[in-house]
Amino acid sequence: MNNETVTLAHGAGGKQTSELIEKVFKAHFSNPEFTADDAAVLPKIDGRLAFTTDGFIVSPWEFNGGNIGKLSICGTVNDLSCMGAKPLYMTCGFVIEEGFKLDDLEKIAAAMEKTAKEVGVKIVAGDTKVAGKGQCDGVFITTTGVGVIRDGASTSGSNARPGDAVIVSGDVGRHGCTVLLARDDYGIDADVSSDCAPLWSTVESMLDVTDDIHVIRDATRGGVGTVLYEIAAQSDVGIALDQSAIPVDSAVKGVCGMLGLEPLYLACEGRLVIFAPADKADAIVAKLREGRYSQNAAVIGHVTEDNKGLVVLKTQIGTQTILPQPKGELLPRIC
Amino acid sequence: MNEAMKKARDIITGYSGRPVRIMEVCGTHTHEIFRLGIRKLVPENVEIISGPGCPVCVTAVGFIDEACWLALEKDCVICTFGDLIKVPGTKLSLAGARAMGAAIKPVYSPLDAVEIAGQTPDRQVVFLAVGFETTTPSACLAVKKARELGLENFSVLTANKTMPNAYKALVGSADAFIYPGHVNAITGNAVCRQLCEEQGVSGVVAGFTASELLTALATAIRLLEKGEPFFRNCYPRVVKDEGNPGAIKLMNEVMEPCDSEWRGLGLIPMSGMKLREEFAPYDARLKFSMPKIEGKPNPACRCGEVLQGKCRPSDCKVFGKVCTPLHPVGACMVSDEGACSAYYQYAGLV
Repeated sequence: MNNETVTLAHGAGGKQTSELIEKVFKAHFSNPEFTADDAAVLPKIDGRLAFTTDGFIVSPWEFNGGNIGKLSICGTVNDLSCMGAKPLYMTCGFVIEEGFKLDDLEKIAAAMEKTAKEVGVKIVAGDTKVAGKGQCDGVFITTTGVGVIRDGASTSGSNARPGDAVIVSGDVGRHGCTVLLARDDYGIDADVSSDCAPLWSTVESMLDVTDDIHVIRDATRGGVGTVLYEIAAQSDVGIALDQSAIPVDSAVKGVCGMLGLEPLYLACEGRLVIFAPADKADAIVAKLREGRYSQNAAVIGHVTEDNKGLVVLKTQIGTQTILPQPKGELLPRIC
Repeated sequence: MNEAMKKARDIITGYSGRPVRIMEVCGTHTHEIFRLGIRKLVPENVEIISGPGCPVCVTAVGFIDEACWLALEKDCVICTFGDLIKVPGTKLSLAGARAMGAAIKPVYSPLDAVEIAGQTPDRQVVFLAVGFETTTPSACLAVKKARELGLENFSVLTANKTMPNAYKALVGSADAFIYPGHVNAITGNAVCRQLCEEQGVSGVVAGFTASELLTALATAIRLLEKGEPFFRNCYPRVVKDEGNPGAIKLMNEVMEPCDSEWRGLGLIPMSGMKLREEFAPYDARLKFSMPKIEGKPNPACRCGEVLQGKCRPSDCKVFGKVCTPLHPVGACMVSDEGACSAYYQYAGLV
C-alpha cells in the first residue's frame, strides 16, 4: 500500500469502502462470526453476561509498548475481565482522519488482531467512518465487548470491606509516563514503555486461587489513585496505603520527580487494583507474580473503617498524610 | 527511615519548651511538609506556618491584569509557567482570557518561549517572568538569547522578586524561619547571617528531601530550646555561603533592582527586578506602551494575611466553599505550593 492514504471516498460506502474493509479489516479480523451483514449473529451463551464499551483517542497513536489498536482491545477486554467475565465477542468502530496512512491503519489492525487472538476474543462486527482533515486527529476507535461472567465471581467496586488487603498487579504509572514522553513536549528522555496489556488471563489465574475476591478494577485514566478514591466512595470505607510498598519503576519515579507528578495518578493500561480478604492476599500475590503481566504485584495497603472516603498514605517518615486528589486533567488524550 | 532521620524525629516530637512558631518561606517546603505529614509530627507547642514563598501566590493581581491586557488588547502570545494560568486577576484569569480567544501557552522554561517566538515570526510573544532568584537567571538567559538571535517579536513582562528583602519584611512573623535552599544556593547566606547578628532573627536553610527537612526542623527546634538567636546552613551539599556567582552575575547583567508589589506584603522597596535600560526593547511594558494597570483583589479573599502567617487558610470565609482548587478565588488556592491549596488537599484526616 506504500504511501496510500485514507480518503473521504473510503468512507462514502461505495467500492472504496469495501476495498478498505477487505484489505485492512477483514484480513486481520477474519473469523466465522465476522459478519458481512448488518449485525453479527452469535451462538447461544450460557451464563450472566457483562457488556461494555470504551472510546480511544490517544495522542500520539503509537507509543513505546503499543499503539491505539492494542489499547482499544486491551481497554474493553480489561473492563470485562474486571467483572470476572471471560471476553467473548467484540465490535469496533473507527473514525479515521482523511490523509491517515493506510500502512499505519494496517499496523493498528494487526495489533488488534494479535491482542484479540491472545485473549481468545473474536471481533465480529465493525464500522468505518472517514472525517475530513482536521475534524479528528489521526484515528479514533470505539470498541464494545461482551463476556460471560465466571460462576461465583462478584467483583464490584462497592464490595470493599474493612480489613481487606489492597493489591496492585504491577508497578504503577507507566502508560501515562510513556505517552507523556512520546509527546516530546518536555525534552526528557527515559527508558519507559507502556504497561498496556490484556488482563483476562491475569484475572482468571486469581479466580483460580479463590472466588473470594471483593473488588477488581483496572487502573486506566486517572491511575491507581483515582481508582482507590472511587472504591473508597463506592464502598464507604477508608484506604490506608504504605508508600514504601507501592511499586514504581525507577525511570517513572525520576520523570515524576522532575515534573512534579504523582505516579499514583498517572494512567496505567495493564494494571489491576484488587481488594481481597487479608488472609488470601499472599496466595493471590504469589499467583500474580507467576503471570506474564503481573510480576511486580504487591500488597500496598488495607481497607479501614475510619477515614471514610479518603486514601491515607503512611509516609517514609512514619507519619500519615492524605493522598491529595488531582485537580482537573493531568494530561489530556492519554487513552 | 535511617538512624539520622529517627534521631531528628525524636528531637522534634520530644520538644517540650515554650510554644514557638516556625515559618517555612519556600512554597516547595510548604508542599513537602504537607506531603510528608510533618505537621502531624510536631508537638502542640510547635506551630508551623507558611510564608510568602510561592512565586505564584505573591504575584500581584495587577500583573495578571497586565498579562490579560497584552493577550486581549495587543493580541500577544503569552508564554507562562502553567501555575499562573488559573490565578484570578481583577476580572479575568489567563484561563478566562484563553476562553475569549487569547493565545496562552504553558512552558517549562523561558527558553521555550524564545523558541516559540522564533517559530512564529508574525506574532508577538511575551514571557511572564515571575519567581525568585531560582527562576530569574533563566529569564535573563532567555532575554540574552533573544537578543543574540535578533528576535524582534520577543519580550518579557517582569514581576521577578528577590527573597532577601522579603526575609527583612518578615522579621517578627515567627520565632524561626526555614529558609529556602534553592534561593540561598543562588544568593548565598549573607543576608540571613546579617539578620541573625543584627536583629536576632533565627533561621535554618533547608533542603527538600524528607531527611533534609527533618534535620533542618530538628536543628531549629533544638536551638530554639537554647534561646539564643541562630543561623545554620542545613543544606551545605548545595548552599555555599557565597551563593552562585555566575547566576548573580547574569542577573545583574540583564536586570536591576526595583520596588515591587507583593500580594499580602504590599510594596517592598528594592525587592523586585526589572530589565536594565540596555534591554529595554525586551520590556513588554515599554514595547506596548502599557498604561498603568492597578489590580483589585477580591475583598473576601484573605490570601494576603495567609502569606504573612497572620491567619490560617481555614480562617478565611471563602476557603473550601467558594474558593477551591477548581475555582480559586485567591492565588494561594491555585498553585500546589500555595498554603490554601495544601490545607484544602490535605484536610480531613482523623
